[in-house]
Amino acid sequence: MRFCMQRIPISLAKPGMVLAKDLVRPENPTGPAICGKGMELTESLVERLRNMGIQSITVEGHPIWMEGDKTLEDLLQELDHRFSRVSQDPLTRSLKDICRKYLINSMGE
Amino acid sequence: MDTRTLPTLPGIVTKLNSLADNEKSSIQEMARLVSSDQVLSARILRLANSPSYGFYRVATISNAMILLGVDVVKSLILSSSIFEIMEKSALGLWEHSLGAGVAANIIAKRLSLPDCEEIATAALLHDIGKVIVRLKLQDEYDVLLAKTAESGSTLHELEREMLGTDHSEVGGWLGKNWFLPEKLVVPITFHHNVAGAFCHQVKTAVVHFADVLIKASGFGFSGDPFVPALQPVAWNMLGMTEPLLAEIVEELEEKLVDTKNFSLEIQSTDETKT
Repeated sequence: MRFCMQRIPISLAKPGMVLAKDLVRPENPTGPAICGKGMELTESLVERLRNMGIQSITVEGHPIWMEGDKTLEDLLQELDHRFSRVSQDPLTRSLKDICRKYLINSMGE
Repeated sequence: MDTRTLPTLPGIVTKLNSLADNEKSSIQEMARLVSSDQVLSARILRLANSPSYGFYRVATISNAMILLGVDVVKSLILSSSIFEIMEKSALGLWEHSLGAGVAANIIAKRLSLPDCEEIATAALLHDIGKVIVRLKLQDEYDVLLAKTAESGSTLHELEREMLGTDHSEVGGWLGKNWFLPEKLVVPITFHHNVAGAFCHQVKTAVVHFADVLIKASGFGFSGDPFVPALQPVAWNMLGMTEPLLAEIVEELEEKLVDTKNFSLEIQSTDETKT
């Protein structure tokens, strides 16, 4: 199974979404998690996170499609264009592969 | 070029410099001086709370001076007028700079480098030269930008060819004129030529990486969309590996969501003010 996740601003968080990553305090990213991954969001939890100053969270799937959001195909095409002048360079090439994998992972169905 | 016609160098900086040179003066005194200018303080605090530094809750100038260091706060004061121009007339470049600051901070933290805040600041400032060049040579620069789209040369090469200088040199020159510390001036000057840095090579390598990574992500717009080549000397200097780079890219992409929000918030507060 391909696992995909999306980072969304807290303002778009809705009950029923599921955390795809442990949530840590932004001012203490190496500290203990506030919420574990796999936890389902509720109205009151979202409210509490907002009050704690959390700005964005990572949720499972790709629940939010914003206006102007591009498809994976578009994104990969743009990636090719951005890297078009350094396609022969081995180090930059490996960076491109990493970016490509990230895009596919975050956008996959 | 004449520095006096450039965006203002706040008088506060001169006073701050003499305070900083005096060993007896305290952070509180310096903070009080900066706080006396409310507009400036608000701008500094906003930047201190930007995702480029990752603190989020810097409430006062003295806090900012303790957390970010006096040098960083001083640099932010000096460059606040340049950032203002970016926000108003070169939003893409502003986002590119913010994003580079975020990327540099992530890299520096992952590698446990000292002076994370300085490195993030150098990345935030790495393209200030572009603002100056555009301000001074508006028409030539527009022609030049149009050319990058069709020719195979990079913006950097075209600047050299058509203007006889380039934005990194101009940025470094500006930094020197402002008496910014070398640990900021050198990375700004050599972010396209890491091997040329005569000191602060690791910081320069991080800023170079940050610039390349943020262009790779497509966040912001620095003048052309093309990713420059990652320089092997920078790769080796940081001891970079592919798995580490993959982790950095992932963390950067996540933080860029916050960075976009930050930029949108700034735009909306600026709109309500005017």
